[in-house]
Amino acid sequence: MAREIYAYECRNCGQAHYPFRMRCKNCGQNGFFEFDAVPLPRNGRLLTFTKVHNLAGDFDVATLTLGIVELENGLRCTGQLQMDQPHIGMSVVGSVEIVRRSTYDEFYGMVFRAA
Amino acid sequence: MRDVYVAGIGITSFTRLEYPLSEIAAYPSMLAMRDAGLNEIDHLYLANMGSARVNHQTGLGSAVVDSLSLTPAGAAVVENGPASGASAIKAGFAAVASGMHNVVLVAGAERMREVDNLEATDFIATLTHPLVEYIYGVTLPAHAAMFTRLYMEKYGVTERHLAMVAVKNHANAMLNEYAHLHQPITIEGILDSPEAMTNNPYVAEPLRFFDVCPVSDGGAAIILVTEEVAKSLGQPLIKLAGIGQATDTHAVHEREEPTDLLAVRKAAAMSFEMAGLTPVDVNVAELHDAFTILEIVESEEVGFFPKGEGHLALEKGETEIAGRIPINPSGGLKGKGHPVGATGVGQAHEIVTQLRGVAGERQVEGARIGFTCNFGGFGNNVVCLTFVRED
Repeated sequence: MAREIYAYECRNCGQAHYPFRMRCKNCGQNGFFEFDAVPLPRNGRLLTFTKVHNLAGDFDVATLTLGIVELENGLRCTGQLQMDQPHIGMSVVGSVEIVRRSTYDEFYGMVFRAA
Repeated sequence: MRDVYVAGIGITSFTRLEYPLSEIAAYPSMLAMRDAGLNEIDHLYLANMGSARVNHQTGLGSAVVDSLSLTPAGAAVVENGPASGASAIKAGFAAVASGMHNVVLVAGAERMREVDNLEATDFIATLTHPLVEYIYGVTLPAHAAMFTRLYMEKYGVTERHLAMVAVKNHANAMLNEYAHLHQPITIEGILDSPEAMTNNPYVAEPLRFFDVCPVSDGGAAIILVTEEVAKSLGQPLIKLAGIGQATDTHAVHEREEPTDLLAVRKAAAMSFEMAGLTPVDVNVAELHDAFTILEIVESEEVGFFPKGEGHLALEKGETEIAGRIPINPSGGLKGKGHPVGATGVGQAHEIVTQLRGVAGERQVEGARIGFTCNFGGFGNNVVCLTFVRED
């Protein structure tokens, strides 16, 4: 089964959230977990980015390029970038991959490449 | 609500300190008690962010109140990220204003250099959203860098403007005996010379080494009292006249306008409204420049300059000690240092020193109204304070 990263749509008003939150930011509905999980779209536009040179010790790379992407449905997603020359406004496409490993865990997240 | 005044202040050097965290809190507390001429307090609020994570100690408030032989006074820790300091001052203010206590000691302390720089950066990165930011390797410098890139694109801020903030705050720190960095720097040395990339490498592009505050140990303390107690003590009457606090989304990517720092804007407006003042009235300000870009943007969001024009005011020298609105005469977080939990209390210490007129070579002439902005997370929890000298 393909891995997905999910946005959460309020069952009362349809507002989409990423990340998950307990209470809808639009209508404030108080039902517990009254959200539908909907996969994040993969295509978007690069909003901003940085190349980080001082990473936490558990990364085994010298630098990492990170960015914020505005997805085609208007939600935004922070992720890792795999590309040589990122620039603001470029089209990107995401895939869900391992983005961090600790001793016992692997964490999956969005990795964006030039579309 | 009762009015609240500052009776005493104390501070350690912000640097690498080789004594225990509880003493880093207790030493400036004793200085503040001596400064106020008070031997008893009703309550201690202790601002600290990392004792459990970095120093393997919890219950720090209880430890410090006992170390000061102030038991059975009440004690509690306030942990609110890098905004812990001003948050503890807010708690102290509420305790005095409400009538619950007459004399409250607010201390802030942090000992971050017990671990190496990578571990300290990772400790601060635990402020980020664990599921949608931290897992990718997002750090606070990474957030600041992505924000800076947007600000450069939209408003024309350049690496030179960022370097100008660093040069100014390092120069101010030279005049502050408590500052972490006593190292004058020049634009030539950190930006223009052939050695600049060696002197000043990228940390998170486009931010370089000299755009980022140092990792500091340090403590500061302030004593808040009623008007009656303040008038009995003989120190200049400095009122904590306004407090504002606001929050913003945890995940930075959720913010509607990514170049806004809405929590700064709202906290500042609230603080000025409570004090019955406006940004134009301020004579001296300490703004939370953990990254050079933040001094520029906060100077806009709190209302000193129009949005997108902070870097132009910087170019004109308006934020220098002799300028129209001096910002960070202490050296700011950039030059004075950033022991995270203590920083907000340290900012208040500088403003009270300025309003008392005893800041020496870095004194802002005739300062009577001062302002602080203590910025937590990447702007998701901000506390602004307005101080007024009344006598």
